[in-house]
Amino acid sequence: MLSFAEEIVLLLLDEAEGTFVPVPESVFGVVVVGAALMDLAIHNRVDADLEQLMVVDGTPLGDDILDDVLRRLGKPAGDLKITQAIYDTIPYVEEYKSRALARLLAHGILREENGRHLWVFRTRRYPVIDNAEQHEVRTRLRQILLTDEIPDPRDIALICLIDACHLLAFVLSPEEIEAAKSRVEQLRKMDLIGQAVVKSASEVQAIIRYAASSL
Amino acid sequence: MDIAQERDGEVVIVRLKGRLDSIAAPAVEEALSRALGGVPPRLAIDMDGLDYISSAGLRVLLVLAKKVQQAKGKVTLCGLKPNVRDVFTVSGFDTIFSIHVDPASAVAAAR
Repeated sequence: MLSFAEEIVLLLLDEAEGTFVPVPESVFGVVVVGAALMDLAIHNRVDADLEQLMVVDGTPLGDDILDDVLRRLGKPAGDLKITQAIYDTIPYVEEYKSRALARLLAHGILREENGRHLWVFRTRRYPVIDNAEQHEVRTRLRQILLTDEIPDPRDIALICLIDACHLLAFVLSPEEIEAAKSRVEQLRKMDLIGQAVVKSASEVQAIIRYAASSL
Repeated sequence: MDIAQERDGEVVIVRLKGRLDSIAAPAVEEALSRALGGVPPRLAIDMDGLDYISSAGLRVLLVLAKKVQQAKGKVTLCGLKPNVRDVFTVSGFDTIFSIHVDPASAVAAAR
């Protein structure tokens, strides 16, 4: 199973061009760090409430992205605001992106060509790791977004990350996005770290808009 | 975290006391899974003694709600303290759980 950071890096790659879709670097940073924090929560390394993020177990997981984020968060029982944890970790995102890409290359999901990362289209040569996994994720997320089915925690985390970068169009048609507005609103509240990721991404985008309008 | 269980007819009542955080979550998840024995499962969770719930605790309840929905059963909650109720409101969990004031109404709704 891919980590959330790998999932989101993969999702942000344009399938045809092999380049990243145009998401502001700072928003990309928020989302990648948020992905790592949500993975750490799933692995019971961090916990959160309405006020703060707590490191509850500093034991490394053997994942060079998650372990680095965990180490930077501080000692177990150290408490900090979720948004602060995100902003403090953003400077290291380029390294995490490189590591996630390296793993996707190692898994055979991507190949590198002339310095560019491209999807491997000959998926039948890689029966274990191919685009079917991504297709299944999108199908499952559509099912959650378009019905009243109760999601599992991984689904909610992915929906928060996708929504934070305004990439619901990767999963739903424009008509479906309009129809699912209240459902998206409901789902993105259901993970406390995910809420902070969406909020931080919105704040960053507001700052970018303000800066652009001031030029 | 103290977890107690009793039965009222077809409804299993689980009483939680203490803090439902990442430390308590595994034990609570196991206890709630055991309480899912009925076909379809009918659960009333009394949270009158619950002082705190974290993100890890919410995940346990979400997984439970999903299992109950898949089994076409019912799960209800009661006795939420104001701080716990706040977490349910902010996280939207109050939209997926049937929340009641006392155990009697939670049990009745779970039947």
